[in-house]
Amino acid sequence: MGTAIVMTSGKGGVGKTTTTANVSTALALLGKKVCMVDADIGLRNLDVVMGLENRIIYDIVDVANGDCRLEQALIRDKRFEHLVLLPAAQTKDKRALSAEKMVELVGELKHSFDFVMIDCPAGIEEGFRVAVAPADMAIVVTTPEHTAVRDADRVLGLLERDKVGEPRLVVNRIRPDMVKRGDMLDIDEIVQVLGCDLLGVIPDDERVIGNSNRGEPVVLDTSVPAATAYRNIARRILGESVPLMHLEEKAGLWGRLRKWVGGR
Amino acid sequence: MILESEPLMDHRPPVTVKGTREGLTFLLDERADVERVCGYLETLITGETGKLFEGPTVDVYVDYGKRALTPQETWRILDVFRKRDNFLVRAWGSAPEAREMARRPHGMRPQHIYHGLVRSGQPLSFDGDVVIIGDVNPSAVVEATGDIYVFGRLLGIAHAGVDGDETAVVAAAEFAPMQIRIADVVSRAPQMRATMEYAYLEGREMRVAEMKYFLPWHKLRKRSGREERR
Repeated sequence: MGTAIVMTSGKGGVGKTTTTANVSTALALLGKKVCMVDADIGLRNLDVVMGLENRIIYDIVDVANGDCRLEQALIRDKRFEHLVLLPAAQTKDKRALSAEKMVELVGELKHSFDFVMIDCPAGIEEGFRVAVAPADMAIVVTTPEHTAVRDADRVLGLLERDKVGEPRLVVNRIRPDMVKRGDMLDIDEIVQVLGCDLLGVIPDDERVIGNSNRGEPVVLDTSVPAATAYRNIARRILGESVPLMHLEEKAGLWGRLRKWVGGR
Repeated sequence: MILESEPLMDHRPPVTVKGTREGLTFLLDERADVERVCGYLETLITGETGKLFEGPTVDVYVDYGKRALTPQETWRILDVFRKRDNFLVRAWGSAPEAREMARRPHGMRPQHIYHGLVRSGQPLSFDGDVVIIGDVNPSAVVEATGDIYVFGRLLGIAHAGVDGDETAVVAAAEFAPMQIRIADVVSRAPQMRATMEYAYLEGREMRVAEMKYFLPWHKLRKRSGREERR
């Protein structure tokens, strides 16, 4: 029996879909059988980030309505045998899927996969309720901005009310230089306000966006620090204790020289 | 989790008698069955305890609370009072203030302890005073008819004395609220370093003081409250 994990944030654009794609890929890299479920019906994105949009024939709403079998709608990833995607419908809206149906679907998927990763839509309405209903665990994604943190706070309250596992936090798009200048909330502050276990911190990197646009999750590119951060999250989900990585920018030649001379 | 320090009300007798300077006030439980009230009342004033009510004519005030009584029920209850010759029923009605006073014999408000983080969009409201053990996050709202004490960081909105009690206070171990409301006075919090402070009203103006001044201020509040009641 697998575990269903929902990725949620409240606010849009903080990186739920990117995180879902990358953490799922990282789990597949570690040899787990993973199914990604795009619950953002009407605004599907996960297929684009995974580079699988041209393979979609059936979607989650077709499965729910009984127009096809579950296996027919699952799309195998190009790179990994054990990574599949259940895409959202693009033409219907969020009312096309009920919470009961979602619980049933995910329950079925949990029999054949180690992890079912649900990409939740932004907002806290019906779509959120449906995506959260089958989850055993929740990952709340936020960015170091007051707006995102406040929405994450609200979502955590709702998750606690619905008793969805122990929610864990991912702080996305952190920029160490801005934190240092005091222009960005630091991680301790965010964790203190949200009162929630930290699962990982993803440094901001433009290559994440570039790779997403190309349909290749950044986690496969080991030269990018964000990739290591995503892999660490996957390892923490599996129960390993991995220390947080150092976010300090690697000093250039001049910086190293200055440090060596004694100026800090 | 909410802990209430007040015992449950269900086991109270259906009739409470209070002696005042004017006479006797009978408070009839507004939720108890009419027959039960009458039965209890009858044993109370004609049974063994009836001796207590012997003596010269005494004025009686009956308060039946929010109950909607039929004429028959009204007569049924008044008939019981007529069984004592020295009772003169002067008033028959509902006076919630008298009821409130009787419910809290020492002028005590109910007090609550709330454990946990108060998140935004999770409104909390309490009747009486509340101690919150945990933080109140930005844009979270806590309301109480009495005082609010936060054993943690107050970053959200606190509204003390929601029913109009201008003597209510808001205090916090780390006082950095978005907004403070006491009774109907609303104030934005001062942008200062957050320490242990409390907000109160002086006249109609919101003041914030360090917690070390709270005790003398509280004593003053209690004293003036008592004088008003007299």
